[in-house]
Amino acid sequence: MKKVVIEVCLGTSCHLLGAQDLMAYLERVPKDWKELIDVRGTTCLHHCGKGPNISVNGTIYTGMTPDKLQDVLSDLIEAAE
Amino acid sequence: MNALFSEVGIAQLSKRGEELCGDSVQVVKTGTHTIIVLSDGLGSGVKANILSTMTTKIASSMLQRGIPLSDVVDTIAQTLPVCRVRKIAYSTLQIIKIARDGETTVVEFDSPASFLIRNGHIVPFPTQERVVAGKTLRVGQLHLQEGDMLVAVSDGVIHAGIGGLLKLGWGWQGVMNQLALTCHTERTADEIGRELIACCEGYYLGKPGDDCTAVAVRLRQPLRLTLMTGPPVDQNTDERLVKRLLSAAGKKVVSGGTTANIVSRVMGKPVVVDLTYPNPDIPPTGSIEGIDLVTEGVLTLNAVAERLQSKQLHYLHSRLQDGATLLMKMLLEADEIDVLAGKAINPAHQNPHLPVQINLKAQVIDKLICSLRDIGKTVTIEWV
Repeated sequence: MKKVVIEVCLGTSCHLLGAQDLMAYLERVPKDWKELIDVRGTTCLHHCGKGPNISVNGTIYTGMTPDKLQDVLSDLIEAAE
Repeated sequence: MNALFSEVGIAQLSKRGEELCGDSVQVVKTGTHTIIVLSDGLGSGVKANILSTMTTKIASSMLQRGIPLSDVVDTIAQTLPVCRVRKIAYSTLQIIKIARDGETTVVEFDSPASFLIRNGHIVPFPTQERVVAGKTLRVGQLHLQEGDMLVAVSDGVIHAGIGGLLKLGWGWQGVMNQLALTCHTERTADEIGRELIACCEGYYLGKPGDDCTAVAVRLRQPLRLTLMTGPPVDQNTDERLVKRLLSAAGKKVVSGGTTANIVSRVMGKPVVVDLTYPNPDIPPTGSIEGIDLVTEGVLTLNAVAERLQSKQLHYLHSRLQDGATLLMKMLLEADEIDVLAGKAINPAHQNPHLPVQINLKAQVIDKLICSLRDIGKTVTIEWV
């Protein structure tokens, strides 16, 4: 399966709105999930007011929380399986 | 001829039992000159410190305004308070004035001769006696070159060891021999000054019999740094600004996510963001090939400005790899800093729930520039 590319915006607004929580969540995802994802940082996804923002395989998600990110990831991984 | 930069290093040691050093040093940088004034006040402790501080403050501020030497000496002689014990007003005076082209004037009044170091050879700075405002001074003028070094010391350095390891003290020759060992290496002016003072402390066996001060000045090419932060108001100027950044001499730093994206787009090279958080308060750094440092914008700049304002210079020796520490190190290493600051406003930063400093970017940049100027950096800013 092609890896899921997750870009986490680490710019000023997203940092202040909780991007670190998303990074911490991505650090502790189960090992089998870790092998399926490719986490990258980015400087701006141009939705600063609605952060923290991520891009998953090119689709932008705004106002993310670790729970929402988990839902997005599990949907993608289940669909791929 | 290229303008030279005078790198100044100062080290001091107070007489045993005294909290204040009776020697004072003032360094003033004008657009054209670096003026260094060293004074050794009569006696030691508070009294000596007051005398020497007055001398250096008066001399440096008058010289900065271009007032002639005779008036400076006259003013100092008439202004110094009279010592109640010895019934005299007295402090030594040493002035080093270096123009950006290397033209150097040295004035000495009752102080040890300054050391001139060129290509590992050390001689007293050549001076001639002159009577100015009734005082006999030694005055010399010489055109210094890149790599030359000047060292001025107070007599506590020359007499180091008296009452300690050396019966007759270190002597001018002894100091010269020590400088010969250290000056030919790539050491900074600061290190050379500190090494001399460390030797003094050793010769005095940790109980200095006099206040000691060493001022080392090295002439070298200035180290430049260009910091681009914030996108310009007019997007059509993006390319021109990035090209200016790339063609600037010295180190190049980009602060701000959108700014990094602009630089990346114009250069055609990706921004790679580091995913680690060495310091949870500072967003991660990034990298773009050809740029020395890429950091987040306003939070990082604010952290650097606050650390500089509160003199938290220990970050210089820190191994932390967060953006603020890396940027602070680079700024402190540079002599001349050009800031290209974009005036475009990110509407998302006007959110009242976010810390106030992020929508006050201009104030943060001003604070940073003031702190850098306070520690002697030459900073220019252009708002775009």
